[in-house]
Amino acid sequence: MNASASDDQTDVERVLAGNVSAFEGIVRRWQTPLVNLAYRFCHDRGRSEDMAQEAFLRAYRGLAQWRKEAVFSTWLFALATNLYRSELRRIPARTVSLEDIAEPPDTRPADRHQEDTAYDRDLAVRRAVFALPAKYREALTLFYFHDMDVATASRSLGLPEGTVKARLFRGREILRSKLPQLLTVPHLKEA
Amino acid sequence: MRRLTEHDEAEINSILSREDEILPSSGFTVSVMDAVRREAASPPPIPFPWKRALPGLVVAGLALLLILIRVIAAIAQLGKAATPPLSMSMPPVPPPIFHGGLGSAAIWTMLALLVALVSVKLSMRVASGRM
Repeated sequence: MNASASDDQTDVERVLAGNVSAFEGIVRRWQTPLVNLAYRFCHDRGRSEDMAQEAFLRAYRGLAQWRKEAVFSTWLFALATNLYRSELRRIPARTVSLEDIAEPPDTRPADRHQEDTAYDRDLAVRRAVFALPAKYREALTLFYFHDMDVATASRSLGLPEGTVKARLFRGREILRSKLPQLLTVPHLKEA
Repeated sequence: MRRLTEHDEAEINSILSREDEILPSSGFTVSVMDAVRREAASPPPIPFPWKRALPGLVVAGLALLLILIRVIAAIAQLGKAATPPLSMSMPPVPPPIFHGGLGSAAIWTMLALLVALVSVKLSMRVASGRM
């Protein structure tokens, strides 16, 4: 997400002047973040590309509505987040119940590497996030996607920072209560 | 429910911050740009023909207003008729709107059908651009 804001502005102006091909610059700069954001919402690679494509199309249609006082990426992420949330309300992603999240078995094979254990634990925590109620899941997804920046996450969600903070706190508490064994497993080495 | 300790929070942060990044498929940009070009090439949406529709809307509004006034008047009449003490032996007096009998009802029905027919025809003409 280090794309130059001036590149975005230049491309937007060219598109608005009638040069449709200039939109390709915007797509190339933002395709990876938009597809990844969609993937964090639906955990389905194919669907995440479809949702990101729809987000780009909506951005193209609404380009004239971008108020230049906000950074282009903020506007684009808010638009994409809004679309992804409503898409998932329309057709929910396949989730498992929080009660059904498999906790790591206590009796692991002795020769299993610590990295494998850590991988299993990470996977279970991510699956648990995915099984959270939508409002907590969305707050957590956006918060970690935006490198733990509450202000950016709240702008993407269109919610006050205080609300996002409260949802983050509550979401993490639910996680902690549902996965007590996971978080007491001896700490993994940082990647 | 146990409260989150700082260690728990740090651990959750650490796990969720390390989510793997996926790369869009090779044809993604081309696919998006094809969709954008199709969008750009498609004709703009047809605006609603306010100029043509306005007279019809005004007439419909006036008709609705007239009907509303008649209904309110009829309800007021009904209220007046119901105000005197009710006698069990006397049948209630129907409001003037029902005075005409079957003949009057048939005329009103015909009129309603005629108005519906005219409005359908008019809207079809407006939609086909023959007006």
